[in-house]
Amino acid sequence: MIIRLVSAALVAGFLAAVVASGLQFALTSPLIIAAERYETQASTTAPHFASLVVRVHGGHDHGTKDPAVNGGEVAPEWQPGPGLPRMAFTALATLVGGVGYALLLGAVLLACGREPTPETGLRFAIAGFLAVALAPALGLPPELPGMEAAPLAERQFWWVMTAAATAMGLYLIALRRSTIAIAGGLVLLVAPHLAGAPETSHAASALPAGYAAQFAARSLGIAFVFWAVIGLAYGWAWTLFGRKATAHA
Amino acid sequence: MTTSTLVLAGTRTNERLGAVLVAAFLGLGLVFMAGFAPAMALHNAAHDFRHTQNFPCH
Repeated sequence: MIIRLVSAALVAGFLAAVVASGLQFALTSPLIIAAERYETQASTTAPHFASLVVRVHGGHDHGTKDPAVNGGEVAPEWQPGPGLPRMAFTALATLVGGVGYALLLGAVLLACGREPTPETGLRFAIAGFLAVALAPALGLPPELPGMEAAPLAERQFWWVMTAAATAMGLYLIALRRSTIAIAGGLVLLVAPHLAGAPETSHAASALPAGYAAQFAARSLGIAFVFWAVIGLAYGWAWTLFGRKATAHA
Repeated sequence: MTTSTLVLAGTRTNERLGAVLVAAFLGLGLVFMAGFAPAMALHNAAHDFRHTQNFPCH
C-alpha cells in the first residue's frame, strides 16, 4: 500500500511540477526578477541601510546585489546562477514541494478512508489549496522580494498554525458534519485571522504597487492549478497502479 | 471464520496506519525542505518557488 501511495505521489508531484514550473517561469519569475532590480536600486542608493538589512537577513542576497554591499568580509552564500540554473533549481524545488504535497494528500485520503479517484483527489486538493495557500495568504499576502515584513520566524509560525487550523476546520465541517463539529470547524477557520497575522509593512517602497498586486493574484492562481493537478493526477495514478497490481496478481 | 476476518481487518488497518504515517512523515519532510528549511543554500535554490507558493521568505 505504501509503495502504491508513494508511486502515485511521485507521478502526481512530477506532473504538477511540470505545469506549475511552466506557469512560474511565464507569470511570476519575471515579476520576482523585476522586483529584485528595485531592491538592488534601493540598496545602492542607501548603502548603510542596505548593509544593515543584509546582516539581519544573515548575508542573504538575491544574486543581483553588488558583493561590496555585503561588507566584503562575509563570503557570499551559494546560489544558483542567473538564467537557466536558477530556473532549474526553481523547477527542482517545485518538484520537491509537489511530491511533498502529493504525499500529504495521499496520507490524508487514506487516513479519512476515501478511495483516491481523480474526483476525491480534486476535492481534497481544493481543501489543500484553501488550507496552505488561500488561508495563509489572507493574513500574509504573497510577497515580492524587497517588501519589508515582520520577522521570518513569526510569519512561519503563523503560516503553519493557520494551515493546520484551516485543514482541521475543513475536516470537521466537510467530513464530520455534526452540529458541534461544524461549530468547532468554523471557530478553527476564523481563529487564526482573529488572532491576527504578523503585521505587513506599510512602509513606502520603490516597487510599483501594480507589480505586487499582479504577483499576489498570479501566485494564488498558480497555487490553485498546482493543487488541482496534484489531486487529479494522484487519483488517476492511484487507480492506474491498483489496476496494474491486480492484473499482475 | 470470525477470527480470520478480524485478523485480516487488523493487518489491513495496521498497513493503512503505517502507510499514512510514512507518507505524512515523508511529505512533511519534503515540504519543509522546499518551503521552510533555513539553510541559506536551500533557501536560495528554492527562492522563486517559495515566493510564488507564498511560503514566508526572508
